[in-house]
Amino acid sequence: MTELLLRVDSLDVRYGLFQALFAVSLEVEQGSVTAVLGANGAGKSTLARTVSGLVPAAGGRVLFDGVAINGWPIHRIRKLGLAYIPEGRGIFPGLSVIDNLRMAVGQENRSERAAAIDRSIELFPVLGERRMQRAGSLSGGEQQMLALAGTLAVPPRLIIADEMSLGLAPMVAETVFQSLDAARQSGITIVLIEQFVHRALSLADHCVILRRGRVGWSGPAHEARQEVLDRYLGEAEQATAAVE
Amino acid sequence: MLQYVIAGLVLGGIYAIASAGLVITYVSSGILNFAFGALAFFVARFYYYLHVQQSWGIVPAAVVSIVLVSPAIGVFLYFALFRFLRLSSPLIKVVATLGLLVAIPAIATLIFGSQAILKAPGLAPEPVRVFVFLGVPVTMDQIIVYVCVAATVVLGASVLRYTDVGLKVRAMVDSPAKTALSGTSANAVSVGVWAVSTFFAGLAGVLAAPIIGLSAGNFTLLIAAAFAAVVAAKLRSLPIAVGVGLAMGVVTSLIQRYLPPASSWTTEIIDAVPFMFIAVFLVYNLVRGGRVSETERVGGALDLAIIPQGGSRLAGSTAGALESGSVGLIGKYAGPLALMAAAFGLPMLVQGFWVGLLAQAFAYGIIFLSFTLVTGEGGMIWLCQITFAGVGALTASQLATNHGWPVLVAIVAGGLVALPMGLIIGFLTIRLGDLYVALVTLAFGLLMENLVFTMGIFQNQGLGVNMARPGFAASDLGFAYLCLVAFVIAALFIFNLRRSTTGLALNAVRWSEPGARTLGISVVQMKIIVAGLGALVAGIGGGFLVAAQTSAQPGNFATFLGVVWLVVLVTVGVRSNVAALVAGLLFVMLPALALAYLPNWTAEILPVFFGLGAITAAKFPDGTLARGGQLFRRWLLRVANRRRPRLPGEPAAAGGVRVAAQGGTGDATPVVEEVSS
Amino acid sequence: MSTFPAPSGTPADIGEHAHDPVVPVRPVLAATGVTVRFGGLVALSDVGLEVPPGAIVGLVGPNGAGKSTLFAVLSGLLHPAAGRVDLCGEDVTHASPQLRARKGLARTFQQPELFMGLTVREHLVLADRIRFARRRLWSDMLSPRSLLASSRSENERVDALLELLNLTRVAQATVAALPLGTSRLVEIARALATRPDVVLLDEPLSGLDMRESEDVASAFRRVVDNDEHRVSLLMVEHDVATVLSLSSRIFVLDFGQLIASGTPAEIHGNTVVRSAYLGDEGSPPAAGAQVNR
Repeated sequence: MTELLLRVDSLDVRYGLFQALFAVSLEVEQGSVTAVLGANGAGKSTLARTVSGLVPAAGGRVLFDGVAINGWPIHRIRKLGLAYIPEGRGIFPGLSVIDNLRMAVGQENRSERAAAIDRSIELFPVLGERRMQRAGSLSGGEQQMLALAGTLAVPPRLIIADEMSLGLAPMVAETVFQSLDAARQSGITIVLIEQFVHRALSLADHCVILRRGRVGWSGPAHEARQEVLDRYLGEAEQATAAVE
Repeated sequence: MLQYVIAGLVLGGIYAIASAGLVITYVSSGILNFAFGALAFFVARFYYYLHVQQSWGIVPAAVVSIVLVSPAIGVFLYFALFRFLRLSSPLIKVVATLGLLVAIPAIATLIFGSQAILKAPGLAPEPVRVFVFLGVPVTMDQIIVYVCVAATVVLGASVLRYTDVGLKVRAMVDSPAKTALSGTSANAVSVGVWAVSTFFAGLAGVLAAPIIGLSAGNFTLLIAAAFAAVVAAKLRSLPIAVGVGLAMGVVTSLIQRYLPPASSWTTEIIDAVPFMFIAVFLVYNLVRGGRVSETERVGGALDLAIIPQGGSRLAGSTAGALESGSVGLIGKYAGPLALMAAAFGLPMLVQGFWVGLLAQAFAYGIIFLSFTLVTGEGGMIWLCQITFAGVGALTASQLATNHGWPVLVAIVAGGLVALPMGLIIGFLTIRLGDLYVALVTLAFGLLMENLVFTMGIFQNQGLGVNMARPGFAASDLGFAYLCLVAFVIAALFIFNLRRSTTGLALNAVRWSEPGARTLGISVVQMKIIVAGLGALVAGIGGGFLVAAQTSAQPGNFATFLGVVWLVVLVTVGVRSNVAALVAGLLFVMLPALALAYLPNWTAEILPVFFGLGAITAAKFPDGTLARGGQLFRRWLLRVANRRRPRLPGEPAAAGGVRVAAQGGTGDATPVVEEVSS
Repeated sequence: MSTFPAPSGTPADIGEHAHDPVVPVRPVLAATGVTVRFGGLVALSDVGLEVPPGAIVGLVGPNGAGKSTLFAVLSGLLHPAAGRVDLCGEDVTHASPQLRARKGLARTFQQPELFMGLTVREHLVLADRIRFARRRLWSDMLSPRSLLASSRSENERVDALLELLNLTRVAQATVAALPLGTSRLVEIARALATRPDVVLLDEPLSGLDMRESEDVASAFRRVVDNDEHRVSLLMVEHDVATVLSLSSRIFVLDFGQLIASGTPAEIHGNTVVRSAYLGDEGSPPAAGAQVNR
């Protein structure tokens, strides 16, 4: 019986006049991997942004390790141990690789920082070769490495990875997933937002499917596959009804 | 020649420091600080107060004013104002800083008094030592400027590249959202950047005072030059801004070398150097094609994605647009009609010179209608409407007085001369982003003010040119009513325009250019129509104004004054015709009332109030008049709806949606809440 | 491993008229062999589709498949490196969006591009006048005509459209306060007021909850069934389920190519489509997960 590291309770989120999430609830156990799936626009990124503090919630609560973090400033949430790797690469494209890592360890004590950066480069040696290169000019896969390296440099307790495999060749995406797996093995809880179901489900313990801003289904990952098909492509009866 | 280059580097150095201060706050917070010059002036004035009036030593005075007070002002302004502006529309950002531009010199006058200061010392101890460098005499003041510029550049670059603080600033420029996600407080970095920016303002001010004189007006011109450097740097590049600033100083100095010193043209051309730079930049970009648009929002895709509904559009918020429900025609027009009726009664109620003032107020109303048209309807931030008024006024006075034209014809002709200028500027700015439009129109205004309005034929040795009134309305009372009638005609025209198909199309272009294009509306044509009409109305208003004043003084059409006009109008309400009239009344009557019945210093405070009023426009973008009307209508609606059952799907009665800033946390993201009645 | 004809650059048979003995009807919108490159990246490769008259057509595909690119090519914001776009038989491949608008191609936006200061009715009136009385765009400035009542024909057309899209109740509301679904309907009504032959819909259902998306979907059906307008809809969407229930024909993109096209039933059971969405590398479906489960 592991404890809940993250609990989302009936979350409502609005962007201006349009409501992105309706009473979304989910529970993430310590040390687990949860896949959040759903079509584009279903609300996956909105959920992640709200949990990490980028976007305010209109209703409901977010509890991280029992602490209600609604309305907290973003940097405080990060310091509490909740790290979000946004879609579109969580790096600073205008800064060099080493500057990106320096930003990631910026909150540590001076003496710790150098060691933390060295650890990151050990994990992803390719970054060591490209220290001074502008992060925006790295390949997609290398950028994701950098994003992960930065996040793991100061090991968080929970990582929300938002569509990290997007735009990556299968082999490169594989490396990313393996790194996430390694992170899980070192005790970090992972929430994985993916549009491509297959790989996410093979990594995950638990799965939540969002559709149109609501939770469509949640349950163990191994039961998810058919549910996903139904949610994404709809019931067969619906499809046949369209043709008169 | 070397002498001029070295001398030019002084002014250039000050431009460079100023443009650095402008760029850093723009790239990190998206706000172009139009009040930078006013801040520089304030600190310079403070330094003068400490050093000359209180006899402090140079070093303590400099340290307190530049190192302590300047950054403190920046921090204060960030917490009081700038942090709420991050997600505001461009107009609100511009107007808020313009409000500061108007208020700060007035505050300085209040605190330090208004006597003219003929000579302000710099940071060099007096008597100022002179060195000789490469055969060129160089004063200690100048050396201090060089040292400051060099220190700024070297220290600034090092801090940015090598220190942790610099790293965080660079990260903020890249993406505030991701900076926060890495655990660094974006707010803390912003405060720091603003403190540094105002530090630069203070430094530039104290260094500039001995060279350009310690008066607020001269500082406006200084900052126009800094804007030129910033524009050349596309609002983003620090090295280019600094480099162009230095270049401008050198060019100005070299021009002095090669032109006859006694010619009146020389001073004007020198003043025009910054605008030439802007013009060159403009033309270059027009020729290259494509849109020149500032990044209104800071940061990357993530920062864009978390803004509710992609941010608000220009003036006239959604708040005003949201009031629905049927109050009936009477309810909607009761307020404006009542105000108009009162306006017609006013000239009968007052006597003596007050009637003449009323005539002026009504004439201002006409000019302000051009703002209503261009900024309120067209959503464009133009800071040169006063210039069009001036063109109309000076043309009318020339035609009527020096060529014997009938007065009313001359006034209309004045408007017709201003019209093509509006069309041309409209065409030139068509592909520019809002901020660039504001800067370009400001530059145009300053250019006209310095090159054209100073011509002898208009100045008439400081007397201005007489302007008669039409024979049938020569008395104050008669002319006041004539102005009011002219206002009503213009207002009706705008009223008709708003409701016409043209007005619908204008509205479409103003709120959504892509949407307008899908309907096949030509954005270019619509914008040019608005620009031309605005110039026409302003020109005609200017003609009426000088007839009310019976004299055409070019000095009354200084660009800075136009900023005050815009600020006053936005405070009252830039989307309603009647608000233009009220603003005209306020603008003329309040200072006169204060001077007549209250102690002198109250008249000085007025700009402060108007300035603060503009700042509160951030909260009520439709202006105080509209807000009052809104509250009144809401009350009416509530009364009316109590008996009528609400139809399904209809928005909550008397509702409307308010944009509220989520306070407290500092990383505020406005949340749009629904307000139930 | 599909049993259906392999999709290629040429579109499949045209909808419900496929079995008519007469000559197939000309599509209102057709793309043939469209290829788009961004530098070295091929965003679209030899893609084609057709929109028959009076039909709802869906364009779907996983994220990054090239839907938005194809949409841009169809609406005129992007010119393809190869291929052509035909609107009612006329080549518009290099025509600007404004020109396509005049020739009968309307579009909506994912974030509704409405005019905040106008009421719903005013949106339609503006569109209607541009279509039927364009001169008023200029002449109105100088005459008090707009203060008088609108012409009867204009009122009839506008009211009919409001009725068709269930907007009569909110006709006098300023659009700024409307919920997203209603805003989308206003955009569609505005587009229809210009009497187009085809309307391109950019993710019209995104951000809508179940009820709203039902309202919008049923509005689409009414519009297309309405004889007076004879308009087709081409919808780019992520919600495949709803698209399958609405459209008579669907085109599926993945990695810049057309991987499937056909009726909803055909697409639903298509294994290539399924693996594209699940992210399998073309592996066969799990046992038992056939079309008529």
